[in-house]
Amino acid sequence: MIILAMLEGRPRHGYELAKLIESQSESQLQFHVASLYPMLYRLERKLLVEGKWVEKAGERRRRFYKLTPAGRRALVVHRRTWREFVSALNRLTGFSHA
Amino acid sequence: MHDWIGYVRGKLPPLNAGPQRESAIIAELALQMEQTYNDAISAGEPEAVALRRARAQFADWQGLAGDINSVERRALSANRATLLAGFLRDLRYASRSLMRSRGFAAVAIATLAFGIGANTAIFTLVDAVAIRSVPYYQANRLVAVETRKAQQPELEPWTSTLDFADLRQHATSFATLAGVSPIWNVVMTGRGETERVESLYVSADFFPTLGVGAQVGRTFTAEEDIRARPAAVVVLSHALWSRRFGADAAILGQAITFDSQSYRVIGVLPGDFRYAGEPVAGTASEIDAWFPLAANPIVNSARSLRFLKVVGRLKPGISIAQCADEVRRIGNNVSSENPATNRGFVLDAKGFSAQVTGRFRLAMLLLLGTVGFVLLMACANVANLLMARASARQREISIRAALGASRLRLFQQMLAEGAVLAVAGGVSGIGLAYFALRFLVAVAPTSLVHPGSVALDGRALAFTTFAVVIATLLASLPTGWRVARDQIECGLRSSGRSFTGGGNRLRSALVVVQIAAALVLMVGAGLLIRSFQRVLEVDPGFRPANLLTVSTQLPSGTQSPAQRTALLRTIRESLQAMPGVESVAAISRLPLLGSNLSTWLFPEGKFLPGEPGHDVEYRAATINYFTTMGIPLKAGKLFDDRDIATPDANILVNETAARKFWPGENPVGKRVKLGTRPERHPWITVIGIVGDVRHSGIDSEPRPEVYRPDVLSPLGAPILVVRTVSDPGLLAPSITARIRSVAAGMPTYNVFSMQALVDRSTAQRRFVMLLLTGFAAAALILAGVGVYGTVSQSVVQRTQEIGLRMALGASPGSALRLVLGQGVRLTAAGLMAGSVGAFGLARGMRSMLFAIGPMDAVAYLEAALLLAVFAGLACYFPARRATRVDPLVALRSNS
Repeated sequence: MIILAMLEGRPRHGYELAKLIESQSESQLQFHVASLYPMLYRLERKLLVEGKWVEKAGERRRRFYKLTPAGRRALVVHRRTWREFVSALNRLTGFSHA
Repeated sequence: MHDWIGYVRGKLPPLNAGPQRESAIIAELALQMEQTYNDAISAGEPEAVALRRARAQFADWQGLAGDINSVERRALSANRATLLAGFLRDLRYASRSLMRSRGFAAVAIATLAFGIGANTAIFTLVDAVAIRSVPYYQANRLVAVETRKAQQPELEPWTSTLDFADLRQHATSFATLAGVSPIWNVVMTGRGETERVESLYVSADFFPTLGVGAQVGRTFTAEEDIRARPAAVVVLSHALWSRRFGADAAILGQAITFDSQSYRVIGVLPGDFRYAGEPVAGTASEIDAWFPLAANPIVNSARSLRFLKVVGRLKPGISIAQCADEVRRIGNNVSSENPATNRGFVLDAKGFSAQVTGRFRLAMLLLLGTVGFVLLMACANVANLLMARASARQREISIRAALGASRLRLFQQMLAEGAVLAVAGGVSGIGLAYFALRFLVAVAPTSLVHPGSVALDGRALAFTTFAVVIATLLASLPTGWRVARDQIECGLRSSGRSFTGGGNRLRSALVVVQIAAALVLMVGAGLLIRSFQRVLEVDPGFRPANLLTVSTQLPSGTQSPAQRTALLRTIRESLQAMPGVESVAAISRLPLLGSNLSTWLFPEGKFLPGEPGHDVEYRAATINYFTTMGIPLKAGKLFDDRDIATPDANILVNETAARKFWPGENPVGKRVKLGTRPERHPWITVIGIVGDVRHSGIDSEPRPEVYRPDVLSPLGAPILVVRTVSDPGLLAPSITARIRSVAAGMPTYNVFSMQALVDRSTAQRRFVMLLLTGFAAAALILAGVGVYGTVSQSVVQRTQEIGLRMALGASPGSALRLVLGQGVRLTAAGLMAGSVGAFGLARGMRSMLFAIGPMDAVAYLEAALLLAVFAGLACYFPARRATRVDPLVALRSNS
């Protein structure tokens, strides 16, 4: 879900994704970059993301990943489940402070 | 400038992707390294540090390639080597990880060791007893021919010599066909100490049929086994040869005296030869001497005297079914030609090993099946432990899953853990099996397990390996399946308790299975225990306490009836005079010694000329036999001295005979005839009815019996019964010494207390019952542990909920009920599922039950109650912990 969410705004390449996970999770997730690429390939195979080599002016040729429509739908479902869970947690902790 | 692409290409193992795809992947990975390096350099890091950072991006190239390959389309089929390498790495990882949690590993390994060890031991036993107890050349080509009485299929299937001769003449299915006599007790004299040995009379084809040759000398030739002129030759067992003749080959050609007749030794059998077939099967008998069948004293008897067991070897290309068809056809022909003797009898054939192991097979398969249940439960417990462990390690698993570990990899990792545990359990299990087997052989009745025939061997190891594989799969599949299924989404979704919902369901299901399996075993054990209790409650028909029995054989010099009667009287009087001896009697066939002699009985006015009579057991007894044994008189009177004067005029019958032949009448005073030809025999008056005696076994129904005074035909091999004042075992040596002092050289054998014979008759039942009870106890404990583990785990997981409820005013009692309620639901579900399985098992073991049905409510209720109490206890302790939850602490904790 994390990767799908990160690709929601715009396409990104692998190095960028790795950096983002590292910085945004504030090292809470013990993440190894070696797992990232197989994960991307898997999402690609499931047709949730699409990878394309892009050459921008003045930059190296890179492989950019973007969400496919199916990926977008999957993200919506994941979000909903997540939200339900978090609100359940909130309700529970809300009581605890009452 | 670094060549990053070259570096990656050098490090990354070949991928199972097309060259283009592989290049793209390599370029992308190289880019990741290059960017990391460049960023480090721009951040002002030294060259060496930047290089190290870049290389640290992908340290495990092998694993990376495996992960990528598992995604690529062609990976699964084409890349077994990488998969295997991955699995080996998983095994190492699992071992290290288990080393870190030693307590968990110890419990899991011990549980599996117990399950696998018990299974290996029982398999080895069952293998030896029921699967391959016929150690002969091409044993599956051996066939047993049986003469069955259609009305009484439970009777021993002996065949007459004339029927055997007809069969041998007409049958074309057999390459060879051999007859075997009952076990014959002969007395060996004239060579040092007098010794009684057990022997068999066998036809010349016997040894060739089994594919056994002599180790020294030879076995019988056809010329030595001709009925009209049998040769006086003997083949010795290796044991007798070694024991009495110093294993000296010079014994060949020498003469040995058996039952005062001289026999020339022609051969010695190999040391490992043991006749496994009937009539030896199921007894602890060791046969020491083998004679030609033609030399047997009763070989020329009539067709009505059935006393041979028949074994044959099939001709090549003939199946057992074809052979059985032919044998039945010949049997029908013989019956129609000899209606007087053969009406009601059928000849049939079946596999030799089926005949030998038939009586044990059900009990043995039952044991094997039930011990399989124990392994199943051990696996369920370990699966439960592994799932609890997976829950605890969930963060680790989630992150691996979220960041790209494939289902297969995660599944492999879980499988690896199960495999490490199962292999360790298997190795410990073999050690356990070794000791368990020694114990089993020591406690098993010798009639069931021949010491020395049971050992752990290649087959046992193969079985253990099989058990390990099963254990691996059963123990790790639930966790592996669970983890792999939940893979990404679930792992990150609930930060800390993702496996709890569905995981708990799975664990609950495992507990239900365990309780169900435990109930099945406990009901099975309960039925056997209750059957055994009933067997023990059976009145054997006599008072076995303080009763000693000594089998004897009068010396060959006492051939005349008068001499025999006189010698027996002298022996009895001499014993009677001993202190501690109350009375001494003698009988021709003693209860529970396994030999019977039957005849036909014709009640006056109840038979038509030419009709066969009723089958009855025939015994000759001294007049005080009934008082000495404690057999009660039910009507009329016992023999007294006046009856001895006219011994052929009077007879006693047992209650079963009275009921069967004179239903609703009083047989006392009625007249009968005995024998095969009633017209030739005098009338005999029934003077009394005595109580039934369980002659052929405590758990077999009594048969009709008649008793006649021994003076009618004085016993050549009287079996003495001695009623003593106290423990008869203490008197045994002085009693046998006294007998020998009265008649020098007279053998005394089968010296038993009657109580020991009663116990022996129930030994096999007791053995199976004890083992099954042991398994049931193990199952009970395993189920208890399973319930305890699951409920404890759920209490830990629900600490917050319980704390919340208590903060809202719930009482500790309601927390107790909440937790107990879960346990009760699991137990109830398990009991319901188990009772169905138990009923199936009970129906399968119906023939092993005695005096109770497979639906015996008490056995079911007792088992269910015991299991429920045990499960209740297993829930109670975690439940009590739940009541002590401090609401504040519980709500604050976030784990």
